[in-house]
Amino acid sequence: MSNVDPILLSVMARAFKSITDEMSISLEKTTRSPILCEAKDFVTGLYDGNGNMLEQTENLPILSFSLGPVCKYILKYFGDEIYPGDVIFHNDVFSMGNQNNDVAVYKPIFFEDELVAFSAAKGHQADIGGAVAGGYNPGATEVWQEALRIPPVKVYEKGKFRKDVWDLIFANIRFNIVQEDMRAEIGSCVVGERRMLAFLEKYGRECFENHKKALFEATRKMMEAEIGTIPNGVYQGESTVYYDGKNHGKHYSIRVEVEVEDKRIKFDYSATDAQSNAFVNGTYTSSASATVLTLLQMVNPDIPHNEGMVEPVEIVIPEGTLLNAAYPAATTYGNHLCPANADAITRALAPVIPDRTTAGWNHLLCSLTTGRDPRKPRQDDKYVDICFMGLKGGSGAMRGVDGYDHIGMIDASGGLLDQDYEMFEQQTPHRLVHHEYSCDSAGAGEWRGGLGVETVFEIGSDDTQLVVFGDGDVEPAFGLDGGGSGSLNSIVLRYPDGSTKTPDSLDLIREVPAGTVYHQRAGGGGGYGDPRKRPAVLVAKDVNNGVISKKAAEEIYGRKT
Amino acid sequence: MSLKIGIDVGGTFTDFLVADGDSATTFKVLSTPSDPSIGLIDGLTEIAGSRDVSLSELARSIDTIVHGTTVTTNAVLTHTGAKTGLVTTQGVRDALEMRRGIREEQYNNRYTNVPPLVPRYLRAPVAGRLDYKGDELEALELDDVREAVRLFKLEGVESVAVCFMNAFANPQHEREAAKLIESELPGAYVTISTDLLPSIRFYERVSTTVLNSYVGPKLSSYLDSLVLRLQEIGFGGVLLIMQSNGGVMAPEVARDKASLTLLSGPAAGPRAGLTYSRAHGHDSCITVDMGGTSFDAALVRDGAPIVVNEGEINRYRIALPMLGIVTIGAGGGSVGWIDEGGLLRMGPESAGADPGPACYGKGGRRPTCTDADLVLGYLDPDFFAGGKIRLDVEASRGAIEEHTAKPLNLPIEEAAAGMYRIINNNMAQGVREITVKRGYDPREFPMVVAGGAGPIHACLIADELDIPMFLVPRESSIFCAAGMLMSDLQHDFVRSFVGDLDKLDWDALGRVLTDMVEEGTRLLAAEKIPEDRSQFQVSLDCRYVKQYHEVSFPVSVDAVCQAQLGEIATLFHREHNRMFGYSLEQEGTPIELINIRLRAVGTTEKPARAAEEPSGADPDEALKGERRLFVPEDNGFANAPVYDGNRTRHGHRIVGPALIEQVNTTVFLSRSYDCVCDKYGSFAVYQKGKENRGAVTPGDSAATGGTAA
Repeated sequence: MSNVDPILLSVMARAFKSITDEMSISLEKTTRSPILCEAKDFVTGLYDGNGNMLEQTENLPILSFSLGPVCKYILKYFGDEIYPGDVIFHNDVFSMGNQNNDVAVYKPIFFEDELVAFSAAKGHQADIGGAVAGGYNPGATEVWQEALRIPPVKVYEKGKFRKDVWDLIFANIRFNIVQEDMRAEIGSCVVGERRMLAFLEKYGRECFENHKKALFEATRKMMEAEIGTIPNGVYQGESTVYYDGKNHGKHYSIRVEVEVEDKRIKFDYSATDAQSNAFVNGTYTSSASATVLTLLQMVNPDIPHNEGMVEPVEIVIPEGTLLNAAYPAATTYGNHLCPANADAITRALAPVIPDRTTAGWNHLLCSLTTGRDPRKPRQDDKYVDICFMGLKGGSGAMRGVDGYDHIGMIDASGGLLDQDYEMFEQQTPHRLVHHEYSCDSAGAGEWRGGLGVETVFEIGSDDTQLVVFGDGDVEPAFGLDGGGSGSLNSIVLRYPDGSTKTPDSLDLIREVPAGTVYHQRAGGGGGYGDPRKRPAVLVAKDVNNGVISKKAAEEIYGRKT
Repeated sequence: MSLKIGIDVGGTFTDFLVADGDSATTFKVLSTPSDPSIGLIDGLTEIAGSRDVSLSELARSIDTIVHGTTVTTNAVLTHTGAKTGLVTTQGVRDALEMRRGIREEQYNNRYTNVPPLVPRYLRAPVAGRLDYKGDELEALELDDVREAVRLFKLEGVESVAVCFMNAFANPQHEREAAKLIESELPGAYVTISTDLLPSIRFYERVSTTVLNSYVGPKLSSYLDSLVLRLQEIGFGGVLLIMQSNGGVMAPEVARDKASLTLLSGPAAGPRAGLTYSRAHGHDSCITVDMGGTSFDAALVRDGAPIVVNEGEINRYRIALPMLGIVTIGAGGGSVGWIDEGGLLRMGPESAGADPGPACYGKGGRRPTCTDADLVLGYLDPDFFAGGKIRLDVEASRGAIEEHTAKPLNLPIEEAAAGMYRIINNNMAQGVREITVKRGYDPREFPMVVAGGAGPIHACLIADELDIPMFLVPRESSIFCAAGMLMSDLQHDFVRSFVGDLDKLDWDALGRVLTDMVEEGTRLLAAEKIPEDRSQFQVSLDCRYVKQYHEVSFPVSVDAVCQAQLGEIATLFHREHNRMFGYSLEQEGTPIELINIRLRAVGTTEKPARAAEEPSGADPDEALKGERRLFVPEDNGFANAPVYDGNRTRHGHRIVGPALIEQVNTTVFLSRSYDCVCDKYGSFAVYQKGKENRGAVTPGDSAATGGTAA
């Protein structure tokens, strides 16, 4: 490659990362919806003039593959009609969007009158229109019942604000907070544009283009070297999705064929079951993201996230399958097919790269309560709480290391934080009773799975609405190489009259009265290796700490205590 | 005669600054990690020797010792704190270990959680519950506390942390439990969460309380031994301990609130930076300190170092106010290497002092930043540490050739220049962390450069960030020891008081503030600070309703006591806008108060500094030779003059490229920079042609000028 300064190459990789990090901090600090500023369900990135990824800050790994494909679509869609000062919105899942609620902003960056790059941000919005507030509509069968579709649309053109377009969009969205959070996304893109232009002014266009190519090349080599260590061959894996929100007893299989040939790897989902007639369906982008993030956990974690990283990876997901539903299917649940997708890939690759695969992770089972806080004077003062602390189970163990306790599902990998207990009691009328590791939840093994947790709180508002979504209530996280499986997920409500209710894994329960006790168990991760080989001192330590019972120590680990 | 001595105990060296009237001398001795007070007395002995007096004569002539210690920091880093038990609310005993469920490295499945400072079996649950307002829902079960004490006795627990749910709103349960523990477990070190940090957020509080108990016994016994040794040699003056917030405190306060010293080490740097930048008319500055393994960057704005209320040490959360110092792995020992994709990287791994850089000849084989500096001609192989360590250029060249030049297919010099450039870039990113990422423009601040290696790299860091001016103090290698003598007594208080501003019980808030002021007055009085040298600064942590992150901003005592709602709201909107680029003032979004904070400051007497008479601009009398060195602007080598930093005089002007050598520090001026020596012997370095944007004129270096724009 001509005119490439190997030193500048290192400087450039670092500079791009610092820009996308800065965009991310700006977004985190300014947004108001808890799923953005607390759960950090957003991604920021830089793309070149052709939509190739320069760098990303992902926060939640499930967003790892979600901005680049849309950028390429936008280029195709607008052709020559992209101008300096444009700001473009997009969420449409049938033009490479990953989830309806994830609304993206793209800002083209022009240097010396030419389109050189894009800064972009995408975050999960608190509402996106559709039939149900918040976007989770287990009854949906078509996209319009879930969301307002936003194909690429300019809210600013040549620097001029298009009030009519803006109002058309937000006239179809329930909460004002979404307008403010979208402004925060635009702000984050401006931050990225400013830093990128300073970079271009310093080094010039030609230097940027040459070095960008070299950077992709260097990253591609890193990724190829990692893939090269996986033995050539074709490997199959499968996992099951147990409920689609509509048809009880109907199961779906995710089937993946992983083909490794020297430096390239291909994930082929052609044998996966057909799409559902409910909202449990993947989009191409959400499913491909799940694939990429699972692969990334099996390779060197220091590989830069640019176009070179994904270049040696081929992903085939035929339209009409559960992981790439055809127009106009409902798809809101798509991101949450990630845990099952990751399981299928892990099962395929565990036999050939046993040192780099983990046993099964606990799957997401999540709840969201909304209601009127009786402690607050205003009738319209509603609270919304996503019970992050309740949903985080354990990760799978791997050879040489126990699973991570209370980390949460693989698509977040510890990026999703618990609510603070005292803030929880300020911001909701609920009272926390219990939130601790749960005994014997971890899959047994020479390396045990991560611990799950048990969460109990007393609901403080009448007419509370509870939304439940996820799975892991039928099949526990699996063990590997002789390791045991983790415990199951469950949610149980105990009403003040003493009766109990177990919601389905996809459910909406209305009019839950104050005084109801909410009891959730998030399961542990799968274990790795024969539990009888676990050193006695480690078993004794877990028993002493009350996270493994004496009975389990004796019967499963074979250790008298 | 009354001396003031600043003592900074570091991992390798213990630094001393002795202020005698308006003259200052510096000393460095080897640290003694097993009992740092030994090295401290060694240093005092050396100082006595240099002044031709006995140790006890010296001790009697000292009126103040200010001391920065890494005793608590090391206890946490090496997991050698006290065996600690936690007494906490039933049902939430795992919050400490869960750390809200974070895994910092999301793609790394081999990344494990940090071991909890209190293992689960020593986290004792106690029944009894307060609601969100602090009202009792369930009485405290003292039998549970007794049961905990029984367990702690059995297990040999030396230190106890007490932290209950919602105690920030009512400390009653915690106090009752602590009273019982103190009577039944005599001699134990007990921390009550609401004494240390009476603010909302359970995880923050429990983690901070446990850290305090974990390091408390160690700090107490160290201070006991230090006070004893100082008494033995006849010291009768005032001993003050450096805190993480940049202030100092009496040893008695430090004993109870040991966690206030967790970042005591680098905390004096920003205050020192301010003293030097003030001499040039700047009330704000960036301080950077490049040591052997790490690079610390901090920001001082409007006369005060930036303080953050959330930090961590070794991944343990600590929510006490501390200086916002960013530390990155870049230092003289940082190792250069090639990653899997063929890119050159520097650090964070360091060769440390042993084996050290290849050029030390102590067995180091991998190329470090110091090796690159040597190959590029910035270091004199015969004059490193004043000639104490002889550097081996060929060893540096060999290491660079093998590990970076060959893989990159570059000549050795170019690879060394690359290493130099990459590490400078890394450090510039560290400065971005404390400026750009917090909403400040680095170009508006002069940079004060410390640490032995810092001044070799400062031009390039400044250039990357377009900083027009930086200062290298003559005492740059013992910067923190100098800063300690310039620090004030400082105590931070916080109370949570949650509610919408327009519905707040302002009388009650006023009473809370009055209580805090009284507490501050009491502490300062105990430290013998008269009222006319006491000051109180109030700030509020507020947010827009339903936001999750608070913004902290200063207000006057009157604004709170007289409920000046409009004024307070305006200040909040303005600060929110400054930090995040917008406010919701127009929308009329309600503002919520979370915490009120008070800082009580007792001004200490600072040593004076003698100003030198100006001499001419010609530095010829200080010229000691010429050396071939790398000039980044030319991307090549050239001959450049070398000046003796001990012979430069006030007013001398040195034109880059050039080197200025002192015993422990070398300043490199690249082609785009010139330097003027100021009246305190510091080197003021300017981007060529931008001197008038700085604040100094060669004739009168203490004149105040406009701020750098």
